[in-house]
Amino acid sequence: MDALQIPESEMISRQIETARGLANDHYIGSDRYDEEREALLFSAWSGIAFASDVPHPGDAMPIDFAGLPLLLLRDHDGEINVFQNTCRHRGMILVEEKCNLRGTIRCPYHSWCYNLDGTLRATPHVGGPGVNYDENVDRRNLSLFPIKTHVWRDVVFVNISGDAPEFDDYADAIKERWKEHEKPLFAPGGSSSFEFDVACNWKLAVENYCESYHLPWIHPGLNSYSRLEDHYHIEEPGCFSGQGTMVYRQIEGERGERFPDFEGLSEFWNKGAEYIAFYPNVLFAAQRDHAYAILLLPKGPGRTVERVEINYPFDPKDRPDLSKLIESNAKQWYGVLEEDLFVVEGMQRGRHGLLFDGGKFAPKMDGPNYLFHLWAADRMSSRKLRLAAE
Amino acid sequence: MNLDGINAAILAAHSAGDGVSLAGLYRRAGDEFVAAGSIDEGCFFLTQAYVYSLEYGLDSAASIRSVLVAHGRER
Repeated sequence: MDALQIPESEMISRQIETARGLANDHYIGSDRYDEEREALLFSAWSGIAFASDVPHPGDAMPIDFAGLPLLLLRDHDGEINVFQNTCRHRGMILVEEKCNLRGTIRCPYHSWCYNLDGTLRATPHVGGPGVNYDENVDRRNLSLFPIKTHVWRDVVFVNISGDAPEFDDYADAIKERWKEHEKPLFAPGGSSSFEFDVACNWKLAVENYCESYHLPWIHPGLNSYSRLEDHYHIEEPGCFSGQGTMVYRQIEGERGERFPDFEGLSEFWNKGAEYIAFYPNVLFAAQRDHAYAILLLPKGPGRTVERVEINYPFDPKDRPDLSKLIESNAKQWYGVLEEDLFVVEGMQRGRHGLLFDGGKFAPKMDGPNYLFHLWAADRMSSRKLRLAAE
Repeated sequence: MNLDGINAAILAAHSAGDGVSLAGLYRRAGDEFVAAGSIDEGCFFLTQAYVYSLEYGLDSAASIRSVLVAHGRER
């Protein structure tokens, strides 16, 4: 067995034929959850929010990302920034609720004020009553901790550790694959943005999403027009995996109306559609007439919030004639994605089975899923080696 | 200096979370103290006014800051 140099509990064979999946503690263990937070989420580019969450200058949204308090901001120039949502003075949470900031961020404790670029603007009474400076409090060194941020396909990605490759390099393979889809996206909001609070480890949602093996059983509605054999694996080791279909069928309204296509797509996309888990925690769909993204927001080893946003190639405000179809499409996707919930929750409960050995992969069907396990194991292994060297 | 009237208004604005009013009320208190020669008290209240002016993006922030700087309370 060509095993990685990692402990038995994390051992993933380099061959799918002989491999077992990640062991139970990767799904239910608190210590492992903390380790994976660093190795899989914080050291990579993770999706934490949608840019459409903060549409206006001054909009601010606090985010708890796997226990890390973050603050998503759109500054007065319209740029998106993410900071740690923690005052540099006493560590108070700065923004508790989604809001619009007209001026600075004021800490609710001692009222230290930060500009929306994170710089510390005012330190009231810091030198005594009515004295707002102190020789030992250098504002220039006390900006909010900035988080490396990049927006792609309306998803706000962050690299918490700050040492990942630049996003364009990190995402090079998927951007190349979907270069025809590099188009403006419009999010209608409303019922087209929804979420599920799911009793599973976030990785199980990735694993379920990236394989087509489950489709005929969990989504039987597909069988009439999109059979298992119409699907193919998408496998980009170390980056993403997923599945594609060659028989994508557009949704139609009562009068036969359809959504307009993204401009400039090649013939492939007339019938083709792809569903990719972009490691670590963003699930994307690319289709001729609409897209979506699902953010997997871990809330603990056994709980994940899935946030879904459906996007269109047109501004829905300009197409009131399509508003009913947008509603129907949202309802359809809500139903499809809801069908997966009992599976991921069932797998989570199954991971409490003491005798479970990580699971036997079906070599012909589980390739995309296996790649995700391999990616996770590799990153855990790298983390361990790095810590050992320090 | 009698702050009774303005104090009640300040407390009411704090209760209501009305930062714009707080900026104005603290400014008034600060200016009155400064005008009366009570610089320490005045700068205390002007600092309060400065913070709320900053928070709400009010133009008054610049002029309040100037007063604080002039009295050596801000840099």
